[in-house]
Amino acid sequence: MTLTIHWQLDVAAEPARGEPALRPALPPLLRDPRQTSQNRFDYYAQVAEAAAQGRFDGLYLPFAADGDDSRIVAAALAREVRRIALVAGFPASVGSAVYAAKQAVSFQRATGNRLGWAIAPDADAATRAGFGDFVPEAQLGQRLEEFLVVARGVHGQHPFSHAGAFFAVEQGGFEAPLNRAAFPPVWLQGESEEALALSARQADVHLFAPTADLAALIEGLDGLAKAAGRQVGFGLHQPVLARESTEEALFEAGRSPPPQGALVGSYEEVAGQLARRVRLGIGQLVLSAGPQLEEAYRIGQHLLPRLRALIATPAKAA
Amino acid sequence: MSIDFFWRLPTHGCHSSIRRGNYDRGDWSATGPHHLAPGLDGAGEADGFAYIDHLAQIAKAAESVGFQGGLIPSFPNTDDPWVIAPLLARETRSFRFMIAYQPGFGNPVHFARASASLQRASGGRALFNIITGGGGPAQLWWGDSFAHDDRYGRTSEWLDVFRGVWEHDSFDYDGRFYRVEGAHLPAHLRAEALPELWFSGSSEAALQVAARHADYYLSWLEPFDQLADKFARVKERTAQLGGEQKVSVRVDLVARKTEEEAWADIARGFENVSEATRAQWRRRDGDSVGAARLAALRPTEATHWQDLKIAPGLWGGFNLLRGGPSIGIVGSYEQCAEKLDELIRLGADGFILAGTPHLEEAWRVGEEVLPLLGQSAGALREAAE
Repeated sequence: MTLTIHWQLDVAAEPARGEPALRPALPPLLRDPRQTSQNRFDYYAQVAEAAAQGRFDGLYLPFAADGDDSRIVAAALAREVRRIALVAGFPASVGSAVYAAKQAVSFQRATGNRLGWAIAPDADAATRAGFGDFVPEAQLGQRLEEFLVVARGVHGQHPFSHAGAFFAVEQGGFEAPLNRAAFPPVWLQGESEEALALSARQADVHLFAPTADLAALIEGLDGLAKAAGRQVGFGLHQPVLARESTEEALFEAGRSPPPQGALVGSYEEVAGQLARRVRLGIGQLVLSAGPQLEEAYRIGQHLLPRLRALIATPAKAA
Repeated sequence: MSIDFFWRLPTHGCHSSIRRGNYDRGDWSATGPHHLAPGLDGAGEADGFAYIDHLAQIAKAAESVGFQGGLIPSFPNTDDPWVIAPLLARETRSFRFMIAYQPGFGNPVHFARASASLQRASGGRALFNIITGGGGPAQLWWGDSFAHDDRYGRTSEWLDVFRGVWEHDSFDYDGRFYRVEGAHLPAHLRAEALPELWFSGSSEAALQVAARHADYYLSWLEPFDQLADKFARVKERTAQLGGEQKVSVRVDLVARKTEEEAWADIARGFENVSEATRAQWRRRDGDSVGAARLAALRPTEATHWQDLKIAPGLWGGFNLLRGGPSIGIVGSYEQCAEKLDELIRLGADGFILAGTPHLEEAWRVGEEVLPLLGQSAGALREAAE
């Protein structure tokens, strides 16, 4: 069973980390050598490099309206951080699907196909209005589907034409060498019937929330995907709080409540819980914990080897 | 007064010589043993490099010799400047990324966020060449069916929103093409400087939008009197709005030690133009007024390279040798510097220069031509003595 493990870089989390302007100034006793241009991008690069050195397979950068643009962050890191996939988030209100596809293909050409698309769930109406997005609630799914159909269409077909409710292209489509790059894997999410049906038709990976009833949802989506003649990878976003011992993990959880659905326990316990989820069919894990840099080292060093060892061992019959 | 000089990154491959339009740098034509930086080796296998590695070399060359940065053009079959800029941000130091962008292609609030993030990733080195598209099939290829003047109206509104979210805590806008309610940027993004806008477009609709939004009005090189007239018209419109318009020129150079060598390269290049390229050169489509202004200047057919000499030191057949505008400067280092000086006297506040191959010519123009600027009259006198 192949399992890919991503580390989550949430650009909006720990907002003052690596941002000298948002932290108290160093006392006058010290001469501060930092320049005003130094900011969180150096921190992002450290987190990404930690994930790469820690043998994660990728970095998952969800869209965060309060933070830096995830696609810009992913591109800024891509050349200095080697090997790992960069799954960058944005919502379907970002603009032209043709333009988004072209940006994706350029990213792929430059990085050896390391980009993924994490399509952000649609925000509430007020937030969407702040992005100039007044598409009625009931049509958001259709807009997203059309966005993906057009983006994949211009990448895979030449000429490509499309006349839809949201996008229109005439005699479009990429030529060589743009069409030689792979289209980025598309990650979708949501547990509603509509979201699962859309994923069955369009997702490469469907990312479940940690609180989801995985067994039932996986079975349902698997059925829908097979009916659509497609394969969808099952992903899970899983916050973790793992320490050397159960006691330490529980102590830490008491001091700083972990997010809902987080796995709390010793490295062995958390690895075991993750392995159970993998055996349910999860093939893509997105792990998260804060602080993002230190935890990337901890998880990479102590949890991933245990998890991979468990996965490599066939499950005992229950 | 200081003048900003930019270079250009070729986003559709490059040629190892202006003499041959064969795109033998990069993977933009069938690769072979004589190609460099292709991404694919002669056998079609990945060679461990990508075209971005070549662009990185050019950006680093340009910043080494003192260019401000470079224009990163965008057409259907190019790599994308919004990706190239952040990819190169952390490995370059002073190079400013001038992203060519048609505003109609993206949501202005999202792109304001992306711009601010790019500013943060690069230490404030992002700026834009705002273009509005040439119409015709290429526009439909992008998925844009707007008519010419509507495109400029949309560009203007897009820039209103882009600027509005940057300058206000919460921004409302209700236009013909865009509407936002309570739009805003996170505070740490808003703290970045609004990127400079270099604006292209030659029609009346374009000049009006330029007057409202442009930090620099940018034109291809045209015959100097015609260019002076164009600059005067845009300056007049900006003055009517109470502003002072900076203007700039995008032009290719063939600069060599001697004038003879420069023209010899033009002659060789002209001889090597394929019949297919020539056929394409005769044709024009789209609704670009800038392209029409240049097309009106040239003969419908050219049998000899000298047919396209349109003024001393100016040649009008560059678009036979490579994609892009037709008129460029040809001459010795001193003559090229003198032409640029003339343009500065005409009012130019900024330049985007280019030469083929972009890498070696960045070094050559940077080391041999830029240092002569402002001194060309003296240099010519010395040479004559």
